Amino acid sequence: MTAALATLILGFIIGYLGQRSRLCFVSGYRDMLLTRDGNLLKGVVGGFCGALAGFVLFYFTGGNLPEFPALLRTPDLDSARAWITTIVSGLGVGFVGVLAGGCPFRMHVLAAEGRRTYWFYLLGLYLGLIFFNLVTDRFFGG
Amino acid sequence: MLGFSAALVQAYFQVVPPVAYGVCMVCHPRDLFNWLADHLLHISWDYSIASTNWPLLTAVGVVLGAWVAARQHGEARARPARQRLSFFIYGFLMINFGLVLGSCPIRIVLLTAYGNILGLVGLLAVIVGVVLGTLALRWNARRAATRGATA
Repeated sequence: MTAALATLILGFIIGYLGQRSRLCFVSGYRDMLLTRDGNLLKGVVGGFCGALAGFVLFYFTGGNLPEFPALLRTPDLDSARAWITTIVSGLGVGFVGVLAGGCPFRMHVLAAEGRRTYWFYLLGLYLGLIFFNLVTDRFFGG
Repeated sequence: MLGFSAALVQAYFQVVPPVAYGVCMVCHPRDLFNWLADHLLHISWDYSIASTNWPLLTAVGVVLGAWVAARQHGEARARPARQRLSFFIYGFLMINFGLVLGSCPIRIVLLTAYGNILGLVGLLAVIVGVVLGTLALRWNARRAATRGATA
């Protein structure tokens, strides 16, 4: 219950702020490459710095951060399969993200604004989830 | 704010395990969808331990928050769909690549901040994927411009 409420509230806040700021974790890199506009990239860097600061702070205040910092304790670090799936799927996420014009977070925000194009993106996302459960997970799932 | 809050919900609000899971826009929708499939239809698809008792509601929160923000600022209005099939396919591919990676472009940043080496590798792969996608867009735009000039 706690986690459900916490994620609902956090989701509401970042959804609200994301709509106002156009925050996107794909367009940040893309805009920097295409137009040298670093505005959205600041959001990505801010996200990283905020997370790092939070993890370090909560580590010292006794928060539930198992095996932080992960570094050499990263799970599956010695698995070639994990490296290959990470690299290939990472490339896929970046490539598809640019073609779609943003990360899944941004797509949810745009769909909420009433842009029906992105309703079809979300339809593909949630139907793709069924495909993942039935097919992809059997071959590439953790 | 996003990153700090993501760390906060892990540290003190039980959004763990897995680690660095405070925000993920492919895994949390997967957890919600599969949790509902499990509890309503008794289909046993995987979801994270963090959502064993109650599903993670980040996707619902994001849509509600963005809708309220858009309504407040007069930006919420129905706009017609374009390239429906393309965007359907992009969504389909994104969830599959994302769930194989185990994260969306946000969570991969959180994992990197957590010190996860595979997270860093994944983040670099995402950035290279963005570079390749951008080059593909540029190439396509140039080809279209050349075609237009010769026509």
